[in-house]
Amino acid sequence: MKKYLIIPLLIMLIVLPFVFFDVLPSIGDMKSAPNTHVSDYYIENSIKDAYSENMVTAVIVDFRAFDTLLETTVMFLAGISVMIILASRPRAAQRMRSTLDAKKSKIKSIAPVFKTINKDVMITIIEPIILIYALYVLFHGEISLGGGFQAGALIGMVYLLDVLVIPDRHNLYRMSKSNSAMIAGLGTFIYCLCGILTLIGGGIFLEYSNLPLPLTEAMKHSMGILMVEIGVTVGVAGTIITIINSIMERVRFDDDNY
Amino acid sequence: MTIINAFLASKGIYLLTFILLALGISGMVICNNLMKKLMCMNIMQVAVIFFFLCLGQKSGATIPVAMGEVIKASEYINPLPHGLMLTAIVVSLGTTGVGLAFLYRIKDKFGTIEEDEIILKERENLDK
Repeated sequence: MKKYLIIPLLIMLIVLPFVFFDVLPSIGDMKSAPNTHVSDYYIENSIKDAYSENMVTAVIVDFRAFDTLLETTVMFLAGISVMIILASRPRAAQRMRSTLDAKKSKIKSIAPVFKTINKDVMITIIEPIILIYALYVLFHGEISLGGGFQAGALIGMVYLLDVLVIPDRHNLYRMSKSNSAMIAGLGTFIYCLCGILTLIGGGIFLEYSNLPLPLTEAMKHSMGILMVEIGVTVGVAGTIITIINSIMERVRFDDDNY
Repeated sequence: MTIINAFLASKGIYLLTFILLALGISGMVICNNLMKKLMCMNIMQVAVIFFFLCLGQKSGATIPVAMGEVIKASEYINPLPHGLMLTAIVVSLGTTGVGLAFLYRIKDKFGTIEEDEIILKERENLDK
């Protein structure tokens, strides 16, 4: 046990001088390095440049839109790679069995784990509320707290709840993993499409004020931000559903029929 | 006593995040089960996210949603760490998914996800 205590103590020994010798800025310091250089520009010009009240949304989809585009691509690639890694499965003869497992498996399997979750309450009451909240978060992301990533995570959570509540794989809406991966790619495509539309309008990539639509400048920015947010939502939700689907194909519950 | 209070008010939260970071890293080193290693990696990621959010804090400022005209930048907290960490949280979900997928393949190949048993089986394979 003493052997294990050395490692955290060693890490704390390396890290603690940063706290005690005034290297890190104190909490709430307005003139510290992270709070001065570029963030002041973001705060003061988010309404002027991006027409968005929520500064976090202005930062992630307007000032740093390329960052978010590649972030969405990373999510899509993660979903695809999970699908590919789990696609092939060795035959039962080639799979190694642990000798320790065989000794332990004499214990009879325990009762079903998910029997305590009430199906009727989950599906009829909680899931619609979460979906409505996801849409609210998506469309209010520009003017109040929220955004595309959170809405996508909420929609993915609804699918996860549905998988959890009905254990014998007869889900309400069953989506194959290739379809959900396609939807995740569609989200990234919507994001890129917004950039291509601004290229058609005569601007640079993701410059929302050049969208080829007969609108005022502020409305063009709102349209561009909304389109990007919808793309991010679809991408994140599709990725989460892909990961859940490809993992749930391997899971066997105790009360499954086969 | 006031010195300790002032220190905790200005630097105390860093201690907590560093304790969390040390827990995560030492768990990744110590744990024998690969699943527990993955959990400890997630704990370490949460510690890094907390650290970034601490840096964006300003005393007496409000959330970064503009109410009317923005006059002074010191009225709102720093939106940049929030935006960066928002994407980091979602990407950590993707990395966790890929890690779980690899765990499934390891379980298929070796029949276990305990590290020492995997090393034993590798040695047996080499001897054959």
